[in-house]
Amino acid sequence: MMAIAAEFNHVVKRYPTGFLGGAGIEAVCDVTLAIPQGRIFALLGPNRAGKTTLIKMLLTLTRPTQGIITRLGEPVKNRRTLARVGYMHENHAFPRYLSAVEVLRFYGGLSGLSAKWLDDRVSQLLEKVGLADRAREPIRQFSKGMLQRLGLAQALLNDPELLILDEPTEGLDIGGRQLLRTVIQERRAAGKTVILVTHALSEVEELAEELAVLVKGKVAYRGRVEELLAGASRDSGGRNLEISLRDVYERGASE
Amino acid sequence: MNLPESIRVLRWMIRDTFRQSLATKLFWVMISVTAVCTLLCLSLRVEGDLPAVTELDLPLVLPKQEAKKLPPENLKADGVRVISGEVSVGFGAMTVPLGRNREDAVRFVQVLLAGGVGDTAGVLLALLWTAGFLPSFLEPHSATVLLAKPAPRWLILLGKAFSVIVFVALQATLFVGATWLALGISTGIWTGAYWLAVPLLVLNFGIFYSVSTFLAVWTRSTVVCIFGVFLFWLFCWIMNYSHHRLVTFPGEGVASVSLPIMEVGYWLFPKPVDLGAIFYDALRAEAFQVRPIEVLKLQEAGQFYPELAVTSSLLFGIVVFALAAYEFREIDY
Repeated sequence: MMAIAAEFNHVVKRYPTGFLGGAGIEAVCDVTLAIPQGRIFALLGPNRAGKTTLIKMLLTLTRPTQGIITRLGEPVKNRRTLARVGYMHENHAFPRYLSAVEVLRFYGGLSGLSAKWLDDRVSQLLEKVGLADRAREPIRQFSKGMLQRLGLAQALLNDPELLILDEPTEGLDIGGRQLLRTVIQERRAAGKTVILVTHALSEVEELAEELAVLVKGKVAYRGRVEELLAGASRDSGGRNLEISLRDVYERGASE
Repeated sequence: MNLPESIRVLRWMIRDTFRQSLATKLFWVMISVTAVCTLLCLSLRVEGDLPAVTELDLPLVLPKQEAKKLPPENLKADGVRVISGEVSVGFGAMTVPLGRNREDAVRFVQVLLAGGVGDTAGVLLALLWTAGFLPSFLEPHSATVLLAKPAPRWLILLGKAFSVIVFVALQATLFVGATWLALGISTGIWTGAYWLAVPLLVLNFGIFYSVSTFLAVWTRSTVVCIFGVFLFWLFCWIMNYSHHRLVTFPGEGVASVSLPIMEVGYWLFPKPVDLGAIFYDALRAEAFQVRPIEVLKLQEAGQFYPELAVTSSLLFGIVVFALAAYEFREIDY
């Protein structure tokens, strides 16, 4: 039986609206989804489909209104498993007064990583993401792309079993995107799990093995990427996934 | 999370806060205030002397220049004491006649420094300057990755708040230590009780910072934190003073229901006036400074309980920090 990296069991997330809460907005509606370990798993969907909410619940940044969520085989309330998770947020604001080295040491320290581990790991990762020559500069001088690279290094600090990348290509140049592809391929080769929340269909097509498509807070499709592609028109000019997804979105929206 | 891991989180928070204070120049601003006060203390000269007087035996005193205008026999007959000494500040730039003994003069400066510069202006400015630390720390774009770490939320929040208190404690220690040393060097008078200002300043700051922390969690707004904590500080002063006024002068046209309400309010909220009175007593300031009559009467009636005042103020701070941690635990990011 395949081990599960993340599991959502009839999960609902309702955000209260207005002063008294009211009926609220249902961002995630009865989602049941299992993400196997050692896979590159993509979460796709249009804006406000509930992808980020689902990830936030997995990381205990947000609590589910109903349902059960497990992370690396443990209930999410067990925060210890977060030490085995890496998270890269699309638009994260690191303290601007720190340098790249200080950022990594700070977040690594809060992850419970030892100073000795960090000594080696920080320089190794800065080299990997191409920031070694800017390691001691305050990050307020960094461009958006450089901050994304730093965010990626931060997510990899603890060599996570589960790496969650939320819109990781935002602000990345071609070199940055290539770097991201390399990192994901390395994770796959090492048997680690990656959850990729993205709009970049080319990366899903190239890198992801499985995907779930969320529409209006529900899982509209769950399966292997090639299965979804097989359903698309053959003469689509390289836009197979886009065409397949359009069908899924339309079906999900009409339900 | 076990104790060593918690200590590690605290250590990282303290380190981060010190880096933040250096980056925002707050560290250097506070050091500059300390440096100016230290220089003033170093420039202080106390010459001549007048024996210590008790509050019940205040003699008539006249500066030397004024006394010269009167016949000496009249002065003697009226028991007038001529001020022979003087205090100079700014290495002699400004001189005032000394109407008290040397030690009292130094302690008077210490009360001014700790009570005026430190406890009032210092605490308020520290609250103002540090008010932005937590809202920026808790802003969703800054907090999401932090909250996805294994450290529990309450530890992250209280660790950050604690690190700000540690920063202020260091600044308070530097301020008191440097001015104590400077006064000792310039006057030869070393008052150990002056060091009591450090825990009192930190306690006073910590209690009001708990309110700032709660407001930061609740609103994530620096403006709300600044105004909220300033209004609360004002409210506590009024509550504390009004309570003493009502207890010591009960018959001034006040409704009978006011006293129990005031009593509840007094014990519930922090007591900045009482903390000031504790420091006043420690420095034996009654010899050179008149304390508020309400506090004096309360002490004479045996109704002033410094230990309880400190304990209940501290308890208030702890409860508000706990409420902030609870609120933070429940927030969706």
